[in-house]
Amino acid sequence: MNIQFRDSAGVTVVAVAGKLDALTAADYETTMKALLADGKTRCVVDFSELTYISSAGLRVLLAAAKSTKAAGGETRFAGVTGNVLAVIEMTGFNSILSLHDSVDAALGAM
Amino acid sequence: MLLAKTIAARLILVTVLCTALVFALVLGVVDYRSQAIVEAEAAQSARHLAQASVYRVEAVLGAVTKTTEGLARTLESGEIGDQELRTLLRRSVESNPEIFGAAAAFEPAELGGPERRYAPYYFRSGDKISSMQLDETENYPLHDWYQIPRELGRAQWSEPYYDEGGSKTLMASLSVPFYSGSGEQRRIRGIVTADIALDWLTKTVDAIKVLDTGYAFLLSRNGTVITHPDAARMLNETIFSVAEARDDPAMRELGRRMIRGESGFAPYLTFKEVKSRLYYAPIPSTGWTLAIVFPEAELFADVRTLTLTVTAMGIAGLLLLAGITLRIARSLTRPLGELAAATAAISEGRFDVRLPSGNAQDEVGALSRAFRAMTIALREHIRRLVETTSAKERIEGELRVAHDIQMSILPKMLPLLPQRAEFDLHAAMVTAKEVGGDFYDFFEIDDNHLCLVIADVAGKGVPAALFMAVTKTLLKANAKAGRSAAEILGKVNDEIARDNEQSMFVTVFCGILNLKSGELVYTNAGHNPPVLMRRGAAPEWLPGKPQLVVGAMPAIGYCSSSIVLERGDRLMLYTDGVTEAVDLDGTFYGEQRLLQDVAHTSGSVRDDVAALITAVESFAAGTEPADDITVMLVEFRGPGLE
Repeated sequence: MNIQFRDSAGVTVVAVAGKLDALTAADYETTMKALLADGKTRCVVDFSELTYISSAGLRVLLAAAKSTKAAGGETRFAGVTGNVLAVIEMTGFNSILSLHDSVDAALGAM
Repeated sequence: MLLAKTIAARLILVTVLCTALVFALVLGVVDYRSQAIVEAEAAQSARHLAQASVYRVEAVLGAVTKTTEGLARTLESGEIGDQELRTLLRRSVESNPEIFGAAAAFEPAELGGPERRYAPYYFRSGDKISSMQLDETENYPLHDWYQIPRELGRAQWSEPYYDEGGSKTLMASLSVPFYSGSGEQRRIRGIVTADIALDWLTKTVDAIKVLDTGYAFLLSRNGTVITHPDAARMLNETIFSVAEARDDPAMRELGRRMIRGESGFAPYLTFKEVKSRLYYAPIPSTGWTLAIVFPEAELFADVRTLTLTVTAMGIAGLLLLAGITLRIARSLTRPLGELAAATAAISEGRFDVRLPSGNAQDEVGALSRAFRAMTIALREHIRRLVETTSAKERIEGELRVAHDIQMSILPKMLPLLPQRAEFDLHAAMVTAKEVGGDFYDFFEIDDNHLCLVIADVAGKGVPAALFMAVTKTLLKANAKAGRSAAEILGKVNDEIARDNEQSMFVTVFCGILNLKSGELVYTNAGHNPPVLMRRGAAPEWLPGKPQLVVGAMPAIGYCSSSIVLERGDRLMLYTDGVTEAVDLDGTFYGEQRLLQDVAHTSGSVRDDVAALITAVESFAAGTEPADDITVMLVEFRGPGLE
């Protein structure tokens, strides 16, 4: 898994590539906690390069989104397609996460 | 036998041997050189002593020679009457105390006729001077003292002899020929002789004392012993007779040198066979030899004493050296020995053994310090190894605990529920090494309702197992008669979502089957869609909208779906361990493959569960299963014919 950041008008765009599973979930969790600690509570997580997500990945996704929300922030997800989208839909996470087709769309919705 | 096995022994052996060798060499050279110096000094003093003695003897003999030669020249100078001759002879004896007697013996033919002999002889007899006619007592022309100088034509000393006649002393005679005319007319007229007693010579030579027992002796022209401290040897032995008796060629050669008139310093064995050095020098006028004897024992006594003293000091020094070497070697090897003992102790695992102090700044100290560092590092390494091992054991222990929890919460398949004719059910699970969080459950809510549950907890290991146990308990506690699956999951969700800081959640499929009517009321909270297998039809997904997992958010309003199962219809529940199993290429088993594989199964529920699991496992052959694989298959048979 590879995580990259960029800032776009006060919103942190977090691009996650590769697999988000039990092995890499801790990395994602640490990264998002660090962002929160920096006060960057407005995030767009770009999943367009993400190929797989497991239940452990969903758990850290949920935990991070909850923390951000508790801090008054907002997390939106962009580019969720294919496999990842199938899992998110199957588990009903699409009902509690804000999903967008593209990063721009997500930024526009912020 | 003491073999030089230890360093100390080898060190001592080498040190002492080398030192002893050098010492012996030095001592030998010093001893040899000292002897040579002493010998040279002895030769020097012997030469001086001998020269002094020779001069003294020569002085006496020279006076006698002068007197006798004078007498002979007087007789040659003209006609001297008988009375005048007698006066001359008497005066010669009177005025020369060394001369014992003097004679003038005339050549018989000279006096005018054959057989005419005349030889007046004057000699000391007590305090007076007596005379006699030699021609009256003996046939003097035939004697050596007359013959030899006559033939040689020059003065000649006789061999010493013992005067058996008047004086009874050791004597020697000088014979000097005298002539008449000159040139062609020169004719021998006779021989003048002077006898001297040699008792003074004996005394002179005897007076020469060398060291304690050294002495001098005199040899004649023929090697005969003239004087000797041992009087019995005088005139009775020659140096050649002794050499003959001993068969000693070196001594014979020495004798030859002596009578040739040479001088020198030579090894010599005395008549009493005492090892000695001999200095010899000629007395030129007589051709005799003066010999001075130095007993070796006395000559080299000082050198011997010195050598013995130095040897004793050397041995004491060697012992001291050995002692000091032993001390140093011990001090060197003691820490080594202690290190060896410590090593042996450490090899037995006793790390607390005391190491020899590494304070010394030498190599042994360095070794000791290095060894100490090594021991500390070794101890640390082993400690870490133990920690790592125990950490690994702890992880494995935790996995075992998680696995035990997982296994203990699953319903036991055998014996199955109290046998019910209305349905048949089988479930199986292949657990991943790390507990994946799958579980299933089935129980009767009342006589007519069977609750079916399959779930997958997010996360792995002990937390997942515990969360699984909690979920199962909550599900069972809330599955009360009259409640729909949606109501049950709603209540469980509220319980879990409250205080769920870890955001743990679980995907659950919960269905309640009416065993009489075959109606199935179910809710799928984020779980994999079950497969519905109508009898005689192709497998299809159980219809129903996906809903949110349990535990993610509080106050979720779940809704139920329902279908009616006919006799022989089957429902297959499974977890994502089935659809997300991967082969070696990384391809998922997937939902399409699942539908295809279950389409061909038509055995008992038990067989078909086993067949599916086998199919998944053979698909994923060669990979380590990442998640639990769980399958539950239920077949509705309908109420019995009453």
